[in-house]
Amino acid sequence: MKRKKWEPYLWLLPSIILVAVFVIFPIFIVFKLSFSEISKSGVVGGFIGLRNYSEAVQLPAFKTVMKNTLWWVLSVVGLSTVAGFIIAMVLNQKFKGRKIARSILILPWATSLVIQASVWNYIISYEYGNLNNILLNLGIISKAINWRSSYQIEFVWECFVGIFVTIPFVTFCVLSGLQSIDPSLYEAATVDGAGFWSKLKNVTIPLVRPSLTVSTVLNIIYVFNSFPIVYTMTKGAPANKTDTIITYLYMLSFYERRKGPATALSVIGFLILCVCAGIYMLGVMRKEEE
Amino acid sequence: MRSEEVRGQNRAALIFLITGFVLSVIVMTLPLYIFHAGVYTKKSANTFHGDEKYNAVYAETEQIAKEYREKGFDVEIKEDVLTRVNSKGETTSLITFTIEETKGKNLWSFALSSLPSGHLFRFILCCCLLSLICGAFGLAGTADILQRFLPGRQKILRTLSVAFAVLSFLAVPVFAMLSNYTFSRRLSLYRDGHIEEGKGAFFSMLDAFLFDGTAGENIESMLAKLDIHRSGLYWLLLPCFFIMITAAVQIRHGMIKNTLLHMLLYVFVAAVCLVTVYPYFVMLVTGFRSNAETLDMYFLHILPTQWMFRNLTDILSRGVGRYLFNSLLVAGGATAIAMLCGVPAADALARMKFRGKKIFLGFVIVSQMFSPVVLLTGISQLMNTLHLNNTITGLMLINAAFNQAFAIWLLRGTFISISPEMEEAALIDGCGTVRALTKVLIPMAAPGIVTALIFVFINAWNEYTISTVLISTAAKRPITVGITQFSSFNMIEWQYLFAASLLATIPVVILFMFIEKHLTAGLTSGGVKG
Repeated sequence: MKRKKWEPYLWLLPSIILVAVFVIFPIFIVFKLSFSEISKSGVVGGFIGLRNYSEAVQLPAFKTVMKNTLWWVLSVVGLSTVAGFIIAMVLNQKFKGRKIARSILILPWATSLVIQASVWNYIISYEYGNLNNILLNLGIISKAINWRSSYQIEFVWECFVGIFVTIPFVTFCVLSGLQSIDPSLYEAATVDGAGFWSKLKNVTIPLVRPSLTVSTVLNIIYVFNSFPIVYTMTKGAPANKTDTIITYLYMLSFYERRKGPATALSVIGFLILCVCAGIYMLGVMRKEEE
Repeated sequence: MRSEEVRGQNRAALIFLITGFVLSVIVMTLPLYIFHAGVYTKKSANTFHGDEKYNAVYAETEQIAKEYREKGFDVEIKEDVLTRVNSKGETTSLITFTIEETKGKNLWSFALSSLPSGHLFRFILCCCLLSLICGAFGLAGTADILQRFLPGRQKILRTLSVAFAVLSFLAVPVFAMLSNYTFSRRLSLYRDGHIEEGKGAFFSMLDAFLFDGTAGENIESMLAKLDIHRSGLYWLLLPCFFIMITAAVQIRHGMIKNTLLHMLLYVFVAAVCLVTVYPYFVMLVTGFRSNAETLDMYFLHILPTQWMFRNLTDILSRGVGRYLFNSLLVAGGATAIAMLCGVPAADALARMKFRGKKIFLGFVIVSQMFSPVVLLTGISQLMNTLHLNNTITGLMLINAAFNQAFAIWLLRGTFISISPEMEEAALIDGCGTVRALTKVLIPMAAPGIVTALIFVFINAWNEYTISTVLISTAAKRPITVGITQFSSFNMIEWQYLFAASLLATIPVVILFMFIEKHLTAGLTSGGVKG
């Protein structure tokens, strides 16, 4: 069977064009813009060196936003990984109704983030929120509770919604890893007298590590880029105290019309992502060598 | 297993079943609500604590209290002192003596009442009793027989025992809801005058329950002085009934070691599922409420009092149909483009050998790291240059491009898993590569292709951020952006927001459940294989 030498490249061409024009090219634009002067109306001026970057770093909210982003990524990715792992372990057991449980637990993955965020926004509102209504009806509380009394608590709620929508992805990545484990390994471990924890440490975790790595790295990227939750629930209010980089640069760029520092922030965010991507690539490469 | 062993296990289970029942009966006798109701009030002006007049009035009050005590009431005297300085600068005082009756009501008093929660409690009682009886009769005479040799009647009885125990367990939160609805919410709303409807019937029902119907006309003033303490002890019924369920399951399935572990697993799964479904439940019930009900802070009911299906026609007249159509266009177009570009690329990556293959694979993986959000300014600039700003075509292309990596990733995984022999045979027979792909590979890889297709479709359907930036004309908005018109800064129409959200969610959720199994396998295998 002979194929012409150029054939594979021809087959790749549409895909390459699509990605090059709509993914790679905007990256160059953003880089170029971040070194250019941009007026409020969006007219691009000449090269101004690193002035946009220094302006971005000196923004009053810069520190808070960076700190928030760090907390946001760490708490959402960390906690959803732990919770997703536990749920996957449970779903891997054999019990009646497992299929239904799987179908239910995947629901948040299939739902648009704006919709999830708006629903939770309604649930936790003080005067007419559904959570207060149900708790009052059950008699667990006797007076309506203000679930969003301060911006710190609101930020915690945003993290909660982030975790809630991220768990299914982790669960199903780990679950497919778990299902590929040969049951005879557990039998052998049981014969050797290993208990639950010892089996977990020596059989389960090493074998699901590849899926866990994939899901963690992808999650770091998704969660870092997540925009609708924070934007829908608080819009960064008050005074950008609940913003992450992504929502902040959106506000800067499209509300305050300060495109210069906004593009500089984009590049900073992009570089952070590249570091994550690099770590991921290294992991995949190492895996390939094995 | 020997028959003595079976008998021993069954006996232990029966003891547990009885223990659970006895414990729940004990809980039912504990006080559930404690009511303090004033039966007599005496006010005395210009009286100071300890003076002559005080002592006289106090003695009088005590005399009346004594009479009540003799009639068998549990009463106590309370005094309130109010002092203030009048315009002449003299200190005046008003002492109020109240004789209060304290009534403890336990669950048994509910069993005898006509309250809605009373009906439910009788139901709970019947269920747990039936569970016990069915369990006992299910064991009678067959306690030493292994499960698989049981006669049919015995099996049914044992299953019924489990079912009744589960029913009584599930009814406890409903009971809590009903009783709190009566005493904590409805009563206070009537008293504070927030609602008027159905007041008379409600008050006479309380009269019968609290005062055996003796209050009559005075019920309103008596209820006004009513002070209610809820003990919350009825929640103890849950563990009691849980013990009963566990024991009943043990009798039904006969596995002593695993029963408890299994039950805990079910509780965990049920709890997680409940939390997951909760927002969808809220969406459903709020989407069909009237506007007044969604914003009413005194609103009592969990379900809408009237299901407003009119909300659906309302939102359709406000452009939601158009938004759904736009979303369909964007998602369908993006899927078509992504697949047309992705299938050949995945085929090349799965089947052909060429230089730079590894580089391209790495490029595919890395390109899924680029989120459109970070590149927003760049994308909107590009779209301006291409004159695709504010067009649905522009959205299609962007969504296709950003889902390209995932599509190739999923497709390549499927193609690799299919043996290349058929395709090679087709090529030898003189088919071109294109025909080998369309006639042989695509039909064989159909499940994987459908998975990738649906996945891209859902991602494009749910996309929000790019659309908010690129689309400025209302008529071109996809549904995710369209629903935000119902939640503007000054007014949020929750019922329309959630009715529209339901329409946007249901189709993709159904699609997602279709591909769930294939998707997870494809995701990780693609990622790990690189």
